[in-house]
Amino acid sequence: MHSGGIWGFILRRTLLGLLVLAIVSILVFAATQALPGDPARAILGRSATPQSLAALRAKLNLGQPVLQQYWNWVTGLLHGDLGNSLANQEPVSTYLRPLLINSAFLVFLSGIISIPLAIAIGVWGAVRRDKAFDVGSSLITMLLAAVPEFVVGIILVVLFATVVVQWLPAVTQVPPGGRPWDDMTGMVLPTATLVIAVTPYVARIMRASMIEVLESDYVEMARLKGLQENTVILRHALPNALGPTFQVIALNLAYLAGGVIIVEYVFNYPGIGGALVGGVTNRDLPVVQALAMLVAAFYVALNLMADIATILVTPRMRTTL
Amino acid sequence: MSVVSDVAITPEPESVRSTRRSGSVLRDALSLWRTRIGLVLMIALVLVASFGPFFAPYSPADFAGPPFTAPNSAAHLGTDYLGQDVLSRFLWGGREILVMAALATAFGLVFGTIIGMLAAYSRNWLDEVLMRAMDVILAFPQIMLALVAIATVGPKAWLIVLAVGLTTLPRVARVTRGAAQPIVERDFVAAAEALGVPRIRILGRELLPNIMSPLMVEMSLRLTYSIGLIAGLAFLGFATSSNGANWGTMINQNRIAVQAQPWGVIMPVLAIALLTVGTGLVGDGISRAAAGIDRGRSTG
Amino acid sequence: MVDTPRELPENLDSFSLSRRELLMGAGAVVLGGSLAACGSSSSSSSSTGASGTPKKGGNFRLAVTGGGAKDIMDGQTIITKPDQARLMTAFETLVVYDTNYVLHPHLAEEVTQNKPDQWTIVLKNGIEFSNGKTLTADDVVYSLNRIINSKNGLFGAAGFASLKPSGIKKLNATTVQLNLTYADAGIGQQLGQYYNGIVPEGYEAFPKPQHGTGGYILKSFTPGQQSVHTRNPNYWQSGKPYFDQVTITDFADATAQVNALQAGQADAMTDLPFGEVNVIKGHPGLAVLVSKTGGWLPLCMAIDMPPFTDNRVREAFRLMVDRQQMVEQVLSGYGTVANDLYSPFDPSYDHSLPQRQQDIEKAKSLLKQAGQEGMTVDLHTTNGAAGMVDSANVFATQAKAAGVTVNVHNDPNYYGDQYLKLAFSVDFWGTRNYLPQVANGSIPTAPYNETHWPPKSGPGSNFLSLYSQALQQLEVSKQTPIIHEMQSLEYNYGGYIIPFFNDLVDAYSTKVQGFEPSKGTLNLTYFGNGYTTIWFA
Repeated sequence: MHSGGIWGFILRRTLLGLLVLAIVSILVFAATQALPGDPARAILGRSATPQSLAALRAKLNLGQPVLQQYWNWVTGLLHGDLGNSLANQEPVSTYLRPLLINSAFLVFLSGIISIPLAIAIGVWGAVRRDKAFDVGSSLITMLLAAVPEFVVGIILVVLFATVVVQWLPAVTQVPPGGRPWDDMTGMVLPTATLVIAVTPYVARIMRASMIEVLESDYVEMARLKGLQENTVILRHALPNALGPTFQVIALNLAYLAGGVIIVEYVFNYPGIGGALVGGVTNRDLPVVQALAMLVAAFYVALNLMADIATILVTPRMRTTL
Repeated sequence: MSVVSDVAITPEPESVRSTRRSGSVLRDALSLWRTRIGLVLMIALVLVASFGPFFAPYSPADFAGPPFTAPNSAAHLGTDYLGQDVLSRFLWGGREILVMAALATAFGLVFGTIIGMLAAYSRNWLDEVLMRAMDVILAFPQIMLALVAIATVGPKAWLIVLAVGLTTLPRVARVTRGAAQPIVERDFVAAAEALGVPRIRILGRELLPNIMSPLMVEMSLRLTYSIGLIAGLAFLGFATSSNGANWGTMINQNRIAVQAQPWGVIMPVLAIALLTVGTGLVGDGISRAAAGIDRGRSTG
Repeated sequence: MVDTPRELPENLDSFSLSRRELLMGAGAVVLGGSLAACGSSSSSSSSTGASGTPKKGGNFRLAVTGGGAKDIMDGQTIITKPDQARLMTAFETLVVYDTNYVLHPHLAEEVTQNKPDQWTIVLKNGIEFSNGKTLTADDVVYSLNRIINSKNGLFGAAGFASLKPSGIKKLNATTVQLNLTYADAGIGQQLGQYYNGIVPEGYEAFPKPQHGTGGYILKSFTPGQQSVHTRNPNYWQSGKPYFDQVTITDFADATAQVNALQAGQADAMTDLPFGEVNVIKGHPGLAVLVSKTGGWLPLCMAIDMPPFTDNRVREAFRLMVDRQQMVEQVLSGYGTVANDLYSPFDPSYDHSLPQRQQDIEKAKSLLKQAGQEGMTVDLHTTNGAAGMVDSANVFATQAKAAGVTVNVHNDPNYYGDQYLKLAFSVDFWGTRNYLPQVANGSIPTAPYNETHWPPKSGPGSNFLSLYSQALQQLEVSKQTPIIHEMQSLEYNYGGYIIPFFNDLVDAYSTKVQGFEPSKGTLNLTYFGNGYTTIWFA
């Protein structure tokens, strides 16, 4: 772990990430193969007759040996071919693409609101340490972080959509042929739920990091030089405090990918969360596998970026590479 | 329910190097108002969950009227989607979640700590292998892994506990490793090695006591998430029984009529919220106490 | 309106009017022209009133629960409710049921049973598919062949067991003759089942082009999400349909549907949860449609699997149920108590069989005699239709009084894995008359025989021969005694626990007119009779 400097580090981390993905792919494939029952029966359900079952099984190539199926799948993945959905025989990529876009938009919207918000809260809390804002915001962020997101979501629904007032829809409405964001009132509550889920952690890390920087020699020097406090904060302290936050930001973005599953269910949002639940219920193996790999790849990539960002930004860690 | 513990740093970056015994940290934590409030909340809800059934006017599957009726003399909080008594089901509904969350957290804590310490101590290929294995589990959101597992075998209690425990494990391992690494390099550890003390003893006697503070914080953090995850799985429909009294299940079953009969949703929501807030406050208190000690001051 | 029979080809017998009337009850003959032209139904009191001049225009948005990536569009089969909703936009049958569950001619001018084993179909003139092609006998031949071809695995195949491809004969451009392999009085009813639509020659399911005789043409369809259907300008009933467009959206659960309706994002929804009825009724601009149908949610005991091989156990289970409580707790009162028998609207239904009541003491003693005191049993169910899971849970609670422990399993893979192989399970059925229902569920060759009825020996083993005899009868008066005997066997020895007939409860915006309560199988008045008898006010 001591050769090659930064580039060597990046290369090693990337290779490790790929190794992890490879192992994950084996496990994902194995797990979905272990699902009990027969996919053809699950799809046809009540209308299954012996002939239609045999016909569907042949169509879906379910009879091949397991290793062969795995190999086909992996090579397909690498070519961007995610296979065909067992349920409707359409390419998984076609089926998932609009849902992925919807989920990505929700994640993006939540991220773009939560991260600046969190940074602002964290910085302000650090600067006005132990004063009213800091104490209050620390407490509130901690409390919000503890409560599970579906509970947050339901509380928002109770407050704003059903019991207390009915200003917002309790579910996202998708106009015909349109996108969830065509009707932004439906986006408010799911986005708010995710923002509440993510902001606390980034805010806390930001605050802690900022406090440490504000007490550092470097900032002490800047103050002694007689610089205005605002300048000290914004131009000297803040950039140095952002370092560790990159890691947490990346990780929280990754976490949003998991959070969307349950939040989409609460609000009936048409995204990959619903696709995952439906895929697991239908034993639609290609869909489940594709989503598992996509999410895993997303996670691994973000972890990687987080690690790299941290190393790049923290000078003393570079020297131990 | 966040990923912050995936980070190699703990919530308060300074708390890692505590060498004080855990007892004093706990004492200091308890002197903080937030820890006390958190503890009160936790105890209150654990009491409700554990002893609630003895006070329930009905058994959870008994009928107290037509579905979704408003509170009345027969059912003080009204009825739920099937006409069962909301109050009784609320009193019965915490046990399953608590027991499973406690077991899952314990599982993750025990094995995560062992793996984390081993990895930190080995500092060689074993460290690498263990951490890569952790990475594999961490390549997924906790809920996704649990969902796939459940769909494979069904919503059995042991599987849910195992799935949640398994996804808790690597997060604990990472934190443990991060906390243990600086300790491992200390002189007293090297001295013990030189004396030929067996590895297990070093881990148990030298290492473990010195990482108790971050571990205690981690424990409450993980407990908070486990409760949230298991209640969330129940909400999605994955509890051990489709009509069992379970706070998570209740929320989903009754939210369709929340406008007309909100209690079937509000009670379990409040319970889960307050419980997780309680465990969160306790964890926060411990964390602050540890940090306060390190920094030579106590903060509220 | 007077019956005016058409000219029939000469090789058919002629009938007296009285015989025709008798046959009407057995569903065996549907007379030409007259009755359906007056439009459906004599049932009353819809919440908005079905009168008023229909106005043209608008996009009708329907919210349906269920569906998913598995969605299909096929004029001749369905799996889920959204599939039903979509089928009805474009495909029609030769004969249709009205809101009183009486058959009327639709695409056919006449459907007649000339002989016990021969039927004749005469088409109306001038009906076109949405692609402009005229409906002819060739299309009917193709349609029937497609249904009975077992390789296609279509829903309606079992009901046409007496029809083979060689028996389907085109007589002329508008006439098709069906020569059956055995006497079958049920063919007329089968032709009226909504899933036996008439499709053009060469037709295949989505994603191939969807051209039917119905009111709308498929414009776009994303399975699991939404489909859009535009008015068919060629529709054969002039002046109809009224909407410019129909949009059907899948919803994962009822909460989302209700919210869509309340927010004005949908105009109608299927299967309003029974507990929500008061919420909707209290909402201005929304109304509830309650249809007292013959739909049923049976608990099915497989008579050849332990512990239900002993009829005393079956009888005990049937006595454990508190049927009125089931109606109150599962359906919030939206249903009627049933007597373990199906097809309540069949003219031959035996109303004289005594209504079973809950009798816990007798149940316990029967179980004791059978050596099954304090038994435990697994009950499997799923979310296939409103009330299926709730029935199971309520039954489990009721069974405790008799010392029986019921473990309810809600299986998402229910229809995939163990369906039809379970000892004890819940299922769902819509309105259907007796003989067609027997074909679908109570004989060895039935596609969905959950109870594995009839038994191979002992009482009830003659059920199949009784069925064949019943099919041979051309007159209701001759069929009735046979059906009574069959029902008596099922009542005493069968495997179904049928606690109630559930209402179909739907909700809609008061902007939509034309909905009426219906006894039939489908929601929302057969989806507004294919979205052709509903309009925006």
